[in-house]
Amino acid sequence: MAEVPANISIELDVRDLDPPEPLQQALAALPLLKPGEQLRMLHHREPFPLYAMLRERGFTYRTTQMDDGSYEVLIWR
Amino acid sequence: MNMASLSLEQAPPITVPFRFFLTAPLFLLLAALALLAAGPAALESRWSQPLLGITHLFTLGFMSMVMTGAVLQLLPVLAGAQVPQPRLMAWAIHLPLFSGVLLLCGGLYFSTAIMVTLALPLLALAFAAFLVIAIYSLARAPARNASTRAILLALAALSLTIGLGLLLAAGIAGMLHLPMLPLAALHVGWGLLGWTTLLVIGVAYQVIPMFQLTQPYPHTVTRWLGGALFVLVLAWSCHLLLSEPAASRLALAAACGLAACLIAFAVITLRLQQKRRRKAPDITLQFWRVGLASLLAAIVLWLAGQVSATLANSTFYALALGMLFIIGFALSVIQGMLYKITSFLIWFHLQGKLPPGKSPHMKSIIQDHAARWHWRIHLASLPLCLASAMWPMPWIYAAGCALLLGGVLLLANLYRAWNIYLRAGAKAQ
Repeated sequence: MAEVPANISIELDVRDLDPPEPLQQALAALPLLKPGEQLRMLHHREPFPLYAMLRERGFTYRTTQMDDGSYEVLIWR
Repeated sequence: MNMASLSLEQAPPITVPFRFFLTAPLFLLLAALALLAAGPAALESRWSQPLLGITHLFTLGFMSMVMTGAVLQLLPVLAGAQVPQPRLMAWAIHLPLFSGVLLLCGGLYFSTAIMVTLALPLLALAFAAFLVIAIYSLARAPARNASTRAILLALAALSLTIGLGLLLAAGIAGMLHLPMLPLAALHVGWGLLGWTTLLVIGVAYQVIPMFQLTQPYPHTVTRWLGGALFVLVLAWSCHLLLSEPAASRLALAAACGLAACLIAFAVITLRLQQKRRRKAPDITLQFWRVGLASLLAAIVLWLAGQVSATLANSTFYALALGMLFIIGFALSVIQGMLYKITSFLIWFHLQGKLPPGKSPHMKSIIQDHAARWHWRIHLASLPLCLASAMWPMPWIYAAGCALLLGGVLLLANLYRAWNIYLRAGAKAQ
């Protein structure tokens, strides 16, 4: 697995938003992400539809389930 | 939570579900018009020919039409089950279903055997194609979860409902001599408690937590409820094979079990929704609440019928039970979910067509106030329907007008949404 850049440049907490708001916000934030930076997203469920779009756009991601049941998704180029 | 990946890259073309969603409300309009035209005579008995036609406009024309389109959309998304040749399959199901419903309901309404006879092969073809394709796709699906299990049971219940329905239609057309009343009871039981309820439950497991930001359904519920419901409808069906008093005892025991399952589903869903994380107003949630309250009201009425033989033998009882279940429960939740799924699909498909940031916001695709007017009229139609079950004259006319207006508003809202898709899509070309 590729190294995760240490520099979190964008934080998105979409845990209390209903679909497709989380997806919309993530897609809007992606173009702002520079190489070497990462986007950290907190989500109430695993965002499967987002993964396909990330792969299409050439981004890498890593998802971890947190203790409260929500998910942390790290996204970088 | 054991969620299948809601993988939208597997979604079929938008015209596949939308041909079902956009034509289904036409049958609501027809049902309301037929009710108004037939007048109080339609409600003289639950078996009146016009009422049989009207009921099937609701159940087959609207409910099954939407449910069929929704299953074709959901199988790939929920279970990763690819539907082969989706456009061709949609034609092969929709066209015979649409024309078959018109012929069947016309034949029942006007007591014209030839129309019922003509409807038989069309409906058989439509449902055979749908069942084969849906069961084949599900059987090959990589994902298995509570939703796909409930949907599979719903499809099994649908095949029984259709088989029984075809027998009944052949009986009405004079082709066969059959014990019509017990067969009709089975047909209604499998159609409403099997196909309709199981599909609603299977879909609810996914869409309630996802769209209303609730906790997932408890594991015990998703594990047992669908199977229990199916086995109980099966047990209830078997009472027809027994002689008294065993038959009545089995029927009552199974019905009590069914009532308990439905109460559990309604109460758990209402509680999940009550504790949802985002308290923003949501029209789908409002429709769900009316639907689940109607389901509970239907169970209370049924329980009252178990205590009072006078009530149970009245025409009001049979009519009100059917109205609460079909118009109150099924129509409410189906219309509520229809608003969510249509705006979501339009948003999603435009996302792929338009440059980033150009596709309309999902919430602007169906305006909340427009959907809310529809919800108000739908809510108002329920007491009017119940009043018409008690006093057909003059309430049937008020109920018919409310149902007609509700159908018009649904149709207008859906077509406006579809227009947004077409216009935005045309700009992208």
